[in-house]
Amino acid sequence: MSMLNHHGHRLGSMQTLPAPMRKYADRETVDYCIVGAGSAGGVLAQRLARAGFRIVALEAGPFWDTEKDWVSDERGSHELYWNDLRITGGKDPLALGANNSGKGVGGGSVHWAAFAPRFHPSDFRVYSEDSVGADWPISYWDLKPYYELLEQEIPVAGPAWFPWGDPHGYPYGPHPLGGVGDVLVRGCAKLGLRSVAGGPVAILSASHGDRPHCIYRGFCIQGCKVGAKASTLITHVPDAIDHGAEIRALSMAARISLHDDGRVDGVLYIDRDGNEHFQRARAVIVSGYAIETPRLLLNSACSGHRHGLANSSGTLGQYLMAQAGNVVAGRFDELIRLYKAPPAHALSEEFYETDKRRDFARGFAIQTVGPLPAAFAKQMMNAMGAWGWGLRRVMMDMNHWATIGVLGEILPWEDNRVELAEEKDQYGLRVAKVTFNLHDNDKKLIEFGKKRVMEVMWAAGAEQVVQESRYAHLVGAARMGSDPATSVVDKFGRTHDIPNLFVCDGSILPTQGSANPGLTIQALAARTADYLIKQGDAIFFSNRRDQCEPGIRYDLSPPYTNFKGNPRVA
Amino acid sequence: MKQKSYPLRPTGGEIRDLAQPGYYSGFSTLAQKKKWDETTRQVVTERVEKVPPLRFFSSGEAELLTAIVSRVIPQDDRAADRMIPVHPAIDERLFKNELNGFRYEDMPPDREAYRLGLKAIDEMAQKRFHEPFVSLTVHRQELILKSLHDGKPDPAHRIWQRMPVHRFWTLLAEDCVTAYYSHPWAWDEIGFGGPAYPRGYMRLENGLPEPWEVDEQRYDWNAPVDSLSELDEQGAPPEQVLPQAHGSSS
Repeated sequence: MSMLNHHGHRLGSMQTLPAPMRKYADRETVDYCIVGAGSAGGVLAQRLARAGFRIVALEAGPFWDTEKDWVSDERGSHELYWNDLRITGGKDPLALGANNSGKGVGGGSVHWAAFAPRFHPSDFRVYSEDSVGADWPISYWDLKPYYELLEQEIPVAGPAWFPWGDPHGYPYGPHPLGGVGDVLVRGCAKLGLRSVAGGPVAILSASHGDRPHCIYRGFCIQGCKVGAKASTLITHVPDAIDHGAEIRALSMAARISLHDDGRVDGVLYIDRDGNEHFQRARAVIVSGYAIETPRLLLNSACSGHRHGLANSSGTLGQYLMAQAGNVVAGRFDELIRLYKAPPAHALSEEFYETDKRRDFARGFAIQTVGPLPAAFAKQMMNAMGAWGWGLRRVMMDMNHWATIGVLGEILPWEDNRVELAEEKDQYGLRVAKVTFNLHDNDKKLIEFGKKRVMEVMWAAGAEQVVQESRYAHLVGAARMGSDPATSVVDKFGRTHDIPNLFVCDGSILPTQGSANPGLTIQALAARTADYLIKQGDAIFFSNRRDQCEPGIRYDLSPPYTNFKGNPRVA
Repeated sequence: MKQKSYPLRPTGGEIRDLAQPGYYSGFSTLAQKKKWDETTRQVVTERVEKVPPLRFFSSGEAELLTAIVSRVIPQDDRAADRMIPVHPAIDERLFKNELNGFRYEDMPPDREAYRLGLKAIDEMAQKRFHEPFVSLTVHRQELILKSLHDGKPDPAHRIWQRMPVHRFWTLLAEDCVTAYYSHPWAWDEIGFGGPAYPRGYMRLENGLPEPWEVDEQRYDWNAPVDSLSELDEQGAPPEQVLPQAHGSSS
């Protein structure tokens, strides 16, 4: 074991990377090798390290120094995203890259807008209630204590009373309202729709430990240099390192190795110089998100698992979901200046649940979005067909526009999937091919949602309203379920096929609701960590599958987070 | 190389050769750069002061691309020393083979897409007007480009059988607007506050300016009289079915 010194490596404007970080040699066998140090991987590493396990987290991207690596600049933030080649197709192909995939320690939580609503209780019972999609193998009530815990840990700012789903309040106070949030609240109020403002968002409205409060500069999705917006890079990874975890950056996992006994024994990965290494581990957790997770498992195909590791069901890569993310833009006579304040700061979930009067199942949320100039220009190109002088003209009016998004539930479909393409990436690994098709229910939902949000925009007083079709977020493709014939992992993220191989990230979600997935992914990671801790060495030495609930641990949170915040209303 | 797109319509204010078009006269993001963090200051300053050399395109291709780009994001209202470099940014991206994280299954790789697209545009110009694209009048250049924008290439060209025209148009136009609206002079034009760390903003509501921002001062201006790229009706939906954009997360 050697020590690496990271003196002066900044995580936000006040915090520094704990030094030194433990470093394991490849030949050393660790307890858990986690692939991907993002939303789930960061929380898992932190919990498991605190419980005393030997942890290495492999991260394909860099270990960000937020002061040296990040900028208050749209174009200069390109490296935060997973920019490596992926092929996208189907009837409604998804844009990938900047839209939904992070690379680097913190993963997607580095560039999320940080909306942090919970899923509703109905999200866990979609098949039972609506005869579409799937049921989860757990209920909302299993996850609720973890929602509450993570809302304190990251923490979430928002209203004292959030009226939808299972009503609740937030530990940190709501943020002041920006111009776009004001438009959303005004439009909803005119139509008699409830809305909330100032959250729920994982951005600090007051300082918290060694993290300062928000400065409202609007560069949330470019990586928060301030350290006010939560990412596991600053919320959980420092504590993981403090407790002996190694976060090994610039290490691209290539293949998970399966031993003769039917258990995995480590991960083959490629370092920044293209050299191959093998990290031995007693168990492996894949936390690579909805494309890289199935890709790695598919690329790990071997004798006995010819169609990919943990794919006896044939469902690995299937039931990939994105949410409808139509952006409705409205031009107002008065100035809005949409670049100020966090893009994520007001929402309504009035249309979240199934309404039998409509001709489709499930629903959507209405949320503020805050594109900066280049992104806004692209939206105007798509929404209005603007180019040339027309584009110059509409862009000169950017400060008069407000943008509000639909966040709509698209159901899990077998034909929406991740497979391997023939093409290879810079590491010589076959790249992912993503296929996406909208189905009838999805199209009706999008059409309805788009119209409602345009009505909100008109009601707010816009003199011109246009919209752009797009998608947000990615989940599914290694879904959890009780039946090994129709799912990849069980309710704790353990693969049905291999007792010491786990998946824990957005890819295990059976359905996605109309809530941003980040908080749910972190809550699931904390729950899986509790399970692994409770199981102890049994994970490493036994093939027995214990399905008993572990019980929540309240003593594993990062510093400053226990019992912080306002008393809860609900 | 620059082709001015005149005459302007007779009404409205004179717009040619402005140091700073737009409605925020006197506003300068770069004047604030001492208030920015060091990394951001370096990145943005370099964008202004160090225009990357052409390394991907041949000089002939670069000349053609410049003519195209000058119509996709026209800058005829900007003074010669205040033109925002667009084609060098595209050349640099392709030289470094910087990807945006995906490729549509029906598209060739970006480098090949650009080479094919340029070839098609030049051959369309030859076929329709019997001149290379760069020699055409601005109006004729716009006729060709608008046909790509509308998804109905006129004249038809075999390259658009193998490469969907709407995807090529999106690729080209997104690269153009990314280069233009990433430049601090464009921020000044549209009244965008620019980098704001560590200072931040304090006036969030009602579109009010920070003390270092300025109020909007609107005036009328006209695009060139023969231009095809003005919006026909405000907010009229585009003719073609548009693909989704690249972009940012929500």
